Amino acid sequence: MKGAPLQLTSAHRARGGLALLSAIVVSLSAVAGAAAGAAEHASRAVSGITVFAAASLTDVFPRIDPGPRFSFAGSNTLAAQITQGAPADVFASANTTLPAQLYAKGLVGKPVVFTRNRLVLVVPSSNPAGVHSVYDLRRAGIKLVVASPAVPVGAYTVQVLKQMGLSSVLANVVSRESDVRSVLAKVALGEADAGFVYSTDAKTVPGKVIVVKVPAWAQPKVTYSMAVVSASNNKTTAQRFVNEVLSKAGQKTMLDYGFLPIPK
Amino acid sequence: MRRAALALVYFAASAVALAFLLLPIVAIFVHVSPGRLVGQLSNPVVTDALLVSFKTTLIAQALVLGFGTPTAYLLASRRFPGRALCITLVELPMVLPPAVAGIGLLAAFGRAGLLGSTLRAAGVEIPFTQTAVTLAVAFVASPLYIRQAIAAFEAVDPNFVAASRTLGAGPARTFFRVVLPLARGGLVAGEALAFARGLGEFGATIMFAGSLQNVTQTLPLAIYAEFEVDFDVTLAISALLVLISAALLISLKLTSLWRPSEQTSPSRFGLLSWS
Repeated sequence: MKGAPLQLTSAHRARGGLALLSAIVVSLSAVAGAAAGAAEHASRAVSGITVFAAASLTDVFPRIDPGPRFSFAGSNTLAAQITQGAPADVFASANTTLPAQLYAKGLVGKPVVFTRNRLVLVVPSSNPAGVHSVYDLRRAGIKLVVASPAVPVGAYTVQVLKQMGLSSVLANVVSRESDVRSVLAKVALGEADAGFVYSTDAKTVPGKVIVVKVPAWAQPKVTYSMAVVSASNNKTTAQRFVNEVLSKAGQKTMLDYGFLPIPK
Repeated sequence: MRRAALALVYFAASAVALAFLLLPIVAIFVHVSPGRLVGQLSNPVVTDALLVSFKTTLIAQALVLGFGTPTAYLLASRRFPGRALCITLVELPMVLPPAVAGIGLLAAFGRAGLLGSTLRAAGVEIPFTQTAVTLAVAFVASPLYIRQAIAAFEAVDPNFVAASRTLGAGPARTFFRVVLPLARGGLVAGEALAFARGLGEFGATIMFAGSLQNVTQTLPLAIYAEFEVDFDVTLAISALLVLISAALLISLKLTSLWRPSEQTSPSRFGLLSWS
């Protein structure tokens, strides 16, 4: 009485086990393939270092090298943390002023420019406020979200609006966020009517936001620079990561994600 | 011998715990001189945040008291199926991570949220307003009050209530003249905890209400915003919040409303007997 169901179960289990085994084999080979791809992509994976990088680099940096530990936030937050002694090995900022300030204080090595970006206006795909150009932001009652002026993207936003003679639209700001991705999230959620982000950020939420271009003549110089942190215990590896980002493969990945080439 | 060793272990552990809990608070005051601290208090970032914090916290506490007291009384005085579940649900926001509370509030009251279109039809938009801050504060703080209030109401001797009723007082008169005065200590303690929690609210606010000086930037949000800009200002606001919280706690102790600890501490000391 007892034997039959037991046998049935074990037969069942055997079949299940076989299925599981084949699934493991399939997924293992997939992982191996992916790993091979990644290895091809980044031949000298660095590990054991911590990279503090601007929030706008969240998607692209792990693609250049998945090895380091990454901490993504507003560049100014990261700079403040490094000033307070946070254990970072590399600092990658969405501007050149913050690394230059830390360099002047001896907190990081000489910064190098590694990419550029472009500022855009994003509106939710439903576009509740009917914003089709930057000038539409002048209408009263528009809920505009920007980054705090201490964050690089927030400073660029102020620059663009000043350049276009639209500084008055800052009266429509309903929130000043601590990094570019928080601005993007509030627009992508549809809670805000519009927000200024980098063109590379807008690409990370396809279908959720519509990009409204900022005219070329009003574009600020969005230049990223990075440096090895002076207090790093692992400067050689940190420098290797910087070299990876500057390498041909690294730069190609940056371009794939919509970043602009280093100015010649 | 063993007793002395045990006493030493207790002493060492308490010394470590006390030092650990005190050091960060002391560090705030060591870092910024009293003169600097007072100077920063006139900084518009600080004054604006103080005003926003107090306004939203006070309105939120009025809501918590107004809605929480009857809720707690009902849950304490009635036995009905699902009561335990109700109490658990009321307490849930207390143990939720604040970020989850923020997402929940957005999903409920945001433009694209459950009530978003209804609110919009009524011409109400909540995110990025002081209403959003108030709701976030009320959401995270009310469970602390309701929980304490349920316990306070449950501790009221039902004989007094019965006596009041047999002596001819109606249910409303009994509630206001008998139940409320007897439960007062617990209610005030619960309200103080809710107030302190509300004043410190951060995660739900930054997600649901955003951060804008003089509108939605409360004291904790100002600390976060100023951290990268001016460390002195963050220290000043932190010191201010330490003082407010300490004042709240001390006044609570002075009015001897902190009954549980007064009852338990002598007996616990008795257990150790290393005097």
